[in-house]
Amino acid sequence: MSEKLLEVKDLVVQFRTDRGKVTAVNGVNFELYKGQTLGIVGESGSGKSVTALSVMRLIPNPPGIIAKGEILFRGQNLLNLPLDEMRKIRGNKIAMIFQEPMTSLNPVFTVGNQIEEVFALHQKEFSKAERRNQGIELLKMVGIPSPERRFLEYPHQMSGGMRQRVMIAMSLACRPDILIADEPSTALDVTIQAQILELMKKLQSELGMAIIMITHDLGVVAETCDNVAVMYCGQMVEKADIKTVFSRPRHPYTKGLLESIPSYDSTKNREKGRLPTIEGMVPSLLELPTGCSFQDRCNFVTEDCRGRKGTPQLESLLQGHEVSCFNPIVV
Amino acid sequence: MNIYVYAFRRILYVIPVLLGVCLIIFVLFNLVSPDPTLMMLGKHANLKQMQELRHELGLDRSYFIQYLDIVKSAFTFDFGRSWSTKQEIIEMIKNGAGPSLTVTVPAFLVALIISLIVALFVAFYRGSWFDRIAVLICVALMSIPSLAYILFAQKILAYDLGLFEISGYEQGFPNFIPYVALPCIIWIVLSIGPDVRFYRTVILDEVYMDYVRTARAKGLSETVILFKHVLKNAMIPIITWVVIAIPFLILGALLLESFFGIPGLGGITLNAINSADFPVVRAMTVLSAVAYIVFSVITDVLYTLVDPRVRLK
Amino acid sequence: MEQVETMQAVAIPVEKHKSKSLWQHAFESLMRDRYAVVSMSVIAIYAFIALLTAFGFIAADWAKEVGPSYAAPSWDYIFGTDIFGRSVLAKTLKGAEVAISVGLVTAIIAVIIGVFLGAIAGYFGGKIDECIVWFYTTFSSIPYIMLLVAISFILGKGLIAVYLALGFTSWENLCRIIRAEVMRHKDREYVQAAKALGGGDMRRLFKHIIPNVLHLVIINFSLTFQTAIKSEVILSYLGLGVQGRPSWGTMIDDAKLELARGVWWQLAAATAAMFVVVLAFNILGDALRDALDPKLKGKS
Repeated sequence: MSEKLLEVKDLVVQFRTDRGKVTAVNGVNFELYKGQTLGIVGESGSGKSVTALSVMRLIPNPPGIIAKGEILFRGQNLLNLPLDEMRKIRGNKIAMIFQEPMTSLNPVFTVGNQIEEVFALHQKEFSKAERRNQGIELLKMVGIPSPERRFLEYPHQMSGGMRQRVMIAMSLACRPDILIADEPSTALDVTIQAQILELMKKLQSELGMAIIMITHDLGVVAETCDNVAVMYCGQMVEKADIKTVFSRPRHPYTKGLLESIPSYDSTKNREKGRLPTIEGMVPSLLELPTGCSFQDRCNFVTEDCRGRKGTPQLESLLQGHEVSCFNPIVV
Repeated sequence: MNIYVYAFRRILYVIPVLLGVCLIIFVLFNLVSPDPTLMMLGKHANLKQMQELRHELGLDRSYFIQYLDIVKSAFTFDFGRSWSTKQEIIEMIKNGAGPSLTVTVPAFLVALIISLIVALFVAFYRGSWFDRIAVLICVALMSIPSLAYILFAQKILAYDLGLFEISGYEQGFPNFIPYVALPCIIWIVLSIGPDVRFYRTVILDEVYMDYVRTARAKGLSETVILFKHVLKNAMIPIITWVVIAIPFLILGALLLESFFGIPGLGGITLNAINSADFPVVRAMTVLSAVAYIVFSVITDVLYTLVDPRVRLK
Repeated sequence: MEQVETMQAVAIPVEKHKSKSLWQHAFESLMRDRYAVVSMSVIAIYAFIALLTAFGFIAADWAKEVGPSYAAPSWDYIFGTDIFGRSVLAKTLKGAEVAISVGLVTAIIAVIIGVFLGAIAGYFGGKIDECIVWFYTTFSSIPYIMLLVAISFILGKGLIAVYLALGFTSWENLCRIIRAEVMRHKDREYVQAAKALGGGDMRRLFKHIIPNVLHLVIINFSLTFQTAIKSEVILSYLGLGVQGRPSWGTMIDDAKLELARGVWWQLAAATAAMFVVVLAFNILGDALRDALDPKLKGKS
């Protein structure tokens, strides 16, 4: 078993809105090991991005606040660190890339300037020439042709895919231990998506960092991740390695997600015609039902789920497979 | 396209606008305006006197000639003579420009500095009580009409407390300071409200952009983010706003000059309005319009220099 | 079948989450903002007072001499009296009529001209657009005061002239904004969809696009309203304003002669009355922008 880099315990993140307090993340626990890729999957609003931003303490305050929990990076609780210490970790030991490459880079500075900035901040011993050279090397590493020329260009002179490569380069500048990728390929064309994910896998095997991959796309998870955590309404409902989750899902939500993936495989046992969906809609976080949040959409709902036993918690069913359900699917 | 071609094209576009402005001025002051001879000669004028005066004033020429006159004056700045003072208008402008600028230029610079500093503070502490109070003060300042400011200030600060001169003007530095200080201050107070609101909006527009989140994720401090990343982007609309405000400095503040007896272009214009001195009013309008057009071209060209996204080779 | 049963089972909870329209959302959001609610109440009170004075229910006797000339504020004359011994309180209340009507009519005129020209320019593009852009560019090049004065000169004095003068000088900003927004919407999918479904240009423009730019009109309306109220003061100072009845502008203008004699109450009353309603409009305008313009969320 490799080194445990990150341990998140009982994370609770809330947001103040003009309609009341919303709990976006409600008691999330997970661990991340060196060299591992953990996927956090869920619909919009499930709390996956908020979880990721919390690790970096990038939750805007106001209106957000990390109400409870611990985020242990190499044993040290990041939530207790003074801000200037946290800044030494951001971009340096833990890095993050975001969903919208078109707007994530500053339009009035060259790409090279923005990469050099990371070195100037975290590797002050580099001279100006070294920053430049290292920067160009980074662009080469992420597969950008003519890196010397691109180094001097502005973001608007590059395509979305190329900008995302630049973001990846910037994030890996200081060889971080953890890379958090929040939907890195979602905003890109399908072919570019594949390229970016390929690139990330390649870099992981070269540099050895752990990756947290936030996505709503199970296909991406299958491609890139070792382990998966499924989130719904701010809670993790199922956690296991991908083989287990894809072949033997125990939570009805996970099962519903897997079934709704459109497939070209005609040998799959399903009715022709309608694409299966999970009925109903995600409830508003302001009006969650008592008991299990999934009760109104669940095909396996029982009386226990409606509040008699409180809200379900993650429990280990088998070694390495946790489910949060009062009536998990029997396999 | 290089910058000279762009500038040239932009200037070319100015011509129809200039012709249009002259057309509007022509329509307003030559075509549909009431006959000034009646006003000037009084009720008992007879027809012959009116005709003579009309000829003297050049009002009996064809409309087209009158229009061309206006267009010509936009380029040559030869506006003819004032109907009331009989002076050459271009001379009046030359004399009046100085005093106007002694009020507007210092006021402009001071207001700019104060507004920028306040806006930066407010953006840094956005959402806090400081932010809210600052915005409220700006809005309150904007809710009082300029005339009220002038009257209050003149009565209390100049007349009662004697801190400033009530009105009048003296040439030469530093003699004009006691005369110019109060109108200057009033101009600043009038500008701070809208300026701070604008700068704040522009800066906050940038602060919520994705690239700021990226900068934070890289580990940059809030101060560096504001002053390096945000400011450089915010400067683009701010610079264009500031540059386009410059032509308004030339006309001076009509009301301020009138009340404080500053013999500037604003006062000249107001007198002309009150005495139906059309050539002067026309001249001032043409002058302001030309200045505005020139500076809007400058602004556009400046924009291409400052924003890398539209930068030309 | 299984699907039908589960559909029935979840039918009721799904009902509960009927999504609200954008306008409902905006309205609710606005109602939650205390300051916006206070501002709207203030404006409503002013409008109500204006109506009352218009029909003569209060301050109908504003022209009556109630006391000595230039009496200072006291228990007898709450805001004091003016040069003719008339109650300043009555004049201030009556002045609300002019202010509200000036703001309203000006804003309406500006909206009609600005939206019409802006929508046509943005939608049809080409030569029509060039013409309209040229038109408002030339208008913008002339300083506001000059334009106001010139138009007032032509129209003479009086309330109607004030309405028209202010209305004709307030439409440029809105025109520009509407044009930009219509251009942005023109190429959006829902317009293409409407095109595909048939229906002529004007129908598309009015039924589909204009409702989507309405929020800009509302925001701009409050801005135009208060600018008009403030501009009326300048017109009064230039002698081009309202005749025959009190307006805050004329009261402030009269003050320039009164102050030297220590008579401050007319100026104070008119300025205070104007300050409160203009401030209310400013706050309301900001709140409207926050509620209606989704891009600006989180920046109040």
